[in-house]
Amino acid sequence: MVKNLNVEISPISRVEGHGDLIINIKDKKVEQLTFRIPESPRFFEAMMVGRKYDEPSHIASRICGICSVAHTCASIKATEKALGITPSPQTISLRKLVYHHENVQSNVLHVYFLAAPDFFGVGSVIPLVETHPDVVNIALRTKKMANDMVRIIGGRAIHPIRIVVGGFTKLPTEEEMVKMKEMLQASYQDFEKTLSVLKTLNIPAFERETEYISISDAVDYALYDGSIKSSDGWEIDDQNYLDKIKEKIVRHSTSKHCWASRDAFMVGALARFNNNYDKLTDNARKYAEELGLKAPCYNPFMNNIAQFVEIIHSVDDSIRLIDEILEEGIDKDKAMVDIVPKAGRGVGVVEAPRGLLIHDYTYNDRGRVEKANMIIPTGMNYANIEKDMDALIPTVIDKSEDEIKLSCEMLIRAYDPCISCSTHFLNVKLINK
Amino acid sequence: MTNTSRNNVSKDHDHGRTDIKIIGFGNKFRSDDGIGIRIIKELEKLEFFKDIEIIDGGTSGTDLIFWIKNCEKIIIIDAIDTGQNTGDVINIKVDDIEEFIKKDYKSLSLHDLNLADVLKLIKALKINTRISIIGIKPKSIDFGDKLSPEIERKIPKIISEIKKETSR
Repeated sequence: MVKNLNVEISPISRVEGHGDLIINIKDKKVEQLTFRIPESPRFFEAMMVGRKYDEPSHIASRICGICSVAHTCASIKATEKALGITPSPQTISLRKLVYHHENVQSNVLHVYFLAAPDFFGVGSVIPLVETHPDVVNIALRTKKMANDMVRIIGGRAIHPIRIVVGGFTKLPTEEEMVKMKEMLQASYQDFEKTLSVLKTLNIPAFERETEYISISDAVDYALYDGSIKSSDGWEIDDQNYLDKIKEKIVRHSTSKHCWASRDAFMVGALARFNNNYDKLTDNARKYAEELGLKAPCYNPFMNNIAQFVEIIHSVDDSIRLIDEILEEGIDKDKAMVDIVPKAGRGVGVVEAPRGLLIHDYTYNDRGRVEKANMIIPTGMNYANIEKDMDALIPTVIDKSEDEIKLSCEMLIRAYDPCISCSTHFLNVKLINK
Repeated sequence: MTNTSRNNVSKDHDHGRTDIKIIGFGNKFRSDDGIGIRIIKELEKLEFFKDIEIIDGGTSGTDLIFWIKNCEKIIIIDAIDTGQNTGDVINIKVDDIEEFIKKDYKSLSLHDLNLADVLKLIKALKINTRISIIGIKPKSIDFGDKLSPEIERKIPKIISEIKKETSR
């Protein structure tokens, strides 16, 4: 047990990108706690300006290798809204289908490779190859399955090229749809094995209730489309996000912090689970129940369990979508709709794997971007991570310095921050415990 | 996986040679970090590489495992800092992954698991593909869609190294 601690974790490992965490504890009280993100210039927003309507989604796709479908879809939705384009129902179904599998790709990577080593008490995924080879092989098989799904529909497993404003440049064949369904059905046995492993994880029993924000839909467990919903009781049209979601500059970070009804809120798998639990498939709910995840859940460490439950939901719902698409028949005439440039503003809101992602574009009458704003999920979570950390540290203050550091790192990793979307380096510093 | 064959359609076996693959990594909107992607675009134009699968790996990381499987040799193109001078092109043979990891080379592109972790994982999984990394030390990895002139000038040298490596 230590009284004073001065810790800098620098950089935090196993998160996307880099940042700093500085904790200064004196006489067992937290004197300073800073989750510092040196955000890079808002380059991508500036890069969109002047671009023709068919370009932003391809630029957005390169913002991040992990969330490339999400950025592509948010960008396309913003453009389609601004230009008054209504894609065909077939396009929407295919977008929802491909969208599920970026979520699977990302959730697999995070649950099995980045977060699981914490819960198994090993430093990284590498020792798991020896101690839990089944887990690593399941992770690789599931990631490969999701990669193949995105590749078949999007043309590439990341940075998709066929998903464009107005529709798809090329459609999957019915044979490919059948093949995808078979791949999905074959994945269930791996989830059963994962379930038995996840049940053995020692997840910290920490809770802090906060505001949970996600998109929400009357029918779907919303990932691709929906209104913006808060656990604090409000729900707004996604075009009006500025009515509720505010950004502010904070001194210790060049990244903006966000707030809505309170001084912080959480986005991501746990927020989606809390807000949209009743839209999950019965099967996904069964997995949640087996793993002790119930809505509402206020333990941020359970975000990783929510991510696994979402994998089940995505596989279940993909099979449903494929059956629907096959029943309708794939119609090449519905691949694209006509596009007529016009002036207007549009907002595209989706659920990236890490949470709410907003693209907001204003076009001129020649169909070129005049203004662009993007809010990324990790940016929305910064303030909430700090609040969680503030509440977590007193509960672990009597542990060793290494254990305190690990608890803090695990908390940050539980959020699955994708700092590379907006920033470059992440370090952690613990001062004077 | 991100797989740019010449008609932008991904297939697992659409090239003549199945023994070798070339993958470029990087973010083309982070200045010189985009060198791997730029090289891939250049290779796609060259007759010399028509039978070889060349892949735009973007900013993926773990996916390297899928590309590397069932392949005798893989050539990775990336912005990499081994302590060499800016713009210097190096060709690292990763015969001994432990040795590579110990040297703490800084690859700049792989954003989920870093290159060292992916290589460790490849070793742990007992995948024995021969790996070559042809890298150049970037001048700038700030946001931007153009390579630095010093790096742009080195494109022919990098392509020449890749050609040599494909016949080794």
